[in-house]
Amino acid sequence: MARAADPRAMGASRPGRTRTAPPRMPPEFPFAGRYRAYTLFDATGLVYLLLGLLALRLARALAAGPEAWEAAMASFRHPLYLAFHALALVSVIFVGVRFFSLFPKAQPPKIGPLAPPPAPLIKAGLYAAWIGVSAALVAILAGGVF
Amino acid sequence: MKRLLLRLEPIIWLLFGQGILIGTILLTGWVLVVGLLVPLGVVPAEALGYERAHRLGANPIGRLVLLAIAALPLWKGAHHLRSLAIDFGGAHRDALVASALYGIAAVGSLLAIAAVLSL
Amino acid sequence: MSEVRKRRFVVTRFDPDRDAEPRSQSYEVPCQPDWKVLDALNYIKDELDPTLSHRWSCRMAVCGSCGMNVDGKPTLTCKQAVDGYGDQIEVEPLSNFPVIRDLVVELEGFLEKLQHVKPWIVRAKEAAVEEGPLRQSPEELERFKQFSYCINCMLCYAACPVVANEPEFLGPAAIALGHRYNLDSRDEGAHERSEIFRGEGTVFSCSYANECSEVCPKHVDPAAAINQAKFEAVIDWATHLVLPRGGR
Repeated sequence: MARAADPRAMGASRPGRTRTAPPRMPPEFPFAGRYRAYTLFDATGLVYLLLGLLALRLARALAAGPEAWEAAMASFRHPLYLAFHALALVSVIFVGVRFFSLFPKAQPPKIGPLAPPPAPLIKAGLYAAWIGVSAALVAILAGGVF
Repeated sequence: MKRLLLRLEPIIWLLFGQGILIGTILLTGWVLVVGLLVPLGVVPAEALGYERAHRLGANPIGRLVLLAIAALPLWKGAHHLRSLAIDFGGAHRDALVASALYGIAAVGSLLAIAAVLSL
Repeated sequence: MSEVRKRRFVVTRFDPDRDAEPRSQSYEVPCQPDWKVLDALNYIKDELDPTLSHRWSCRMAVCGSCGMNVDGKPTLTCKQAVDGYGDQIEVEPLSNFPVIRDLVVELEGFLEKLQHVKPWIVRAKEAAVEEGPLRQSPEELERFKQFSYCINCMLCYAACPVVANEPEFLGPAAIALGHRYNLDSRDEGAHERSEIFRGEGTVFSCSYANECSEVCPKHVDPAAAINQAKFEAVIDWATHLVLPRGGR
């Protein structure tokens, strides 16, 4: 039997004249059918939160000085961190693909006097930006430029 | 608390949206290099040795990028974890969970601003 | 050559006077190859068990009455061919709704949400009759036309995980309908509706499942409407922070 939904889900403000059976969630929720991707999408929130905190840690280490920085960077060599970052990379790509497919239709028909470009163009632009910025960032961080 | 959260929703959603958009675009390269290529030795460690890292980070654009990578994902994370909590029947404690999660994101963002300013 | 195929329908039954909770009942139905699920249900009621209760009307996917969960998915039973399913088909009332009896769900909550978004043309000042009708160009119609196709079948509510867990959430159809009016060039109520969208039933509760659009039989794409509405609500909120009377 499907999970129980909130007992007040889709309820009326005043009770009906007969007893009703309580609402149940969609049977495929949370791990079957298309809900699996949805639940995973929400779960990537944890990955992003941790990534943000780790970047914060690095920023603070960088501000603190060479020892703090080297220690922080060295800690990333631990297998647990490597596994996390591998998972994080997959998660970030998954989020990007899902979000970019939704983004074009989420644009309002007009922003002031301007109409947004057609959906395929928006998508192409998003992916171009993604690949371009990623490549630039890799080049800069890995020492190729600057 | 619930009313306050409702009133702040637009701005929280904006930050969350940028966390996904800008955060994802920046995080891909970042995680690849900082999380994998450098620790694995594929990229030599000197590339992100303190000298160079500090030079990049203290650059005005570098500061902004570092701030974006540290702060924006926190809002995406907080918002999605809040959704997850609600999805699994947590509507009644939503005010508490949301405050805690957005609180972490807010504090983290402030610390990130402070760190980036002191580079 | 038409072949009648026997399929087992496992149908949810619930009589509030007799049953403590919903139960299942199986029926063997000889299905014609061109039948929809609704035809099978009507066969059950006509030939096998007259006590089965279910809603239906137009039989052509325009009235929105016959929505049910078929094999776990919200479906218009008059539209869905039996042929796409296996030997056993599960029919349940729509998810996320209180159940009145068998396959009949409580509509009142949905109707309240619809009314809450003011789904009518709001004018700052009514035009005088002598001024003639409000005119609208085909381009202006295109802006909101898609969102006007909703037949109120509630499949989107049955599919939405947020509706299940946040009772105040306005939900896909209501938000799409409100957005339809916001986009209508004759309407002047966008600010009022934006405030409603930022209120208790907040559009920001939508967490991008996109299931509403996946199940919509009329391709209304409520997910697009909701996410456009979020953006518009932010603009409206920001504008009214800076210009309290919206610049008027």
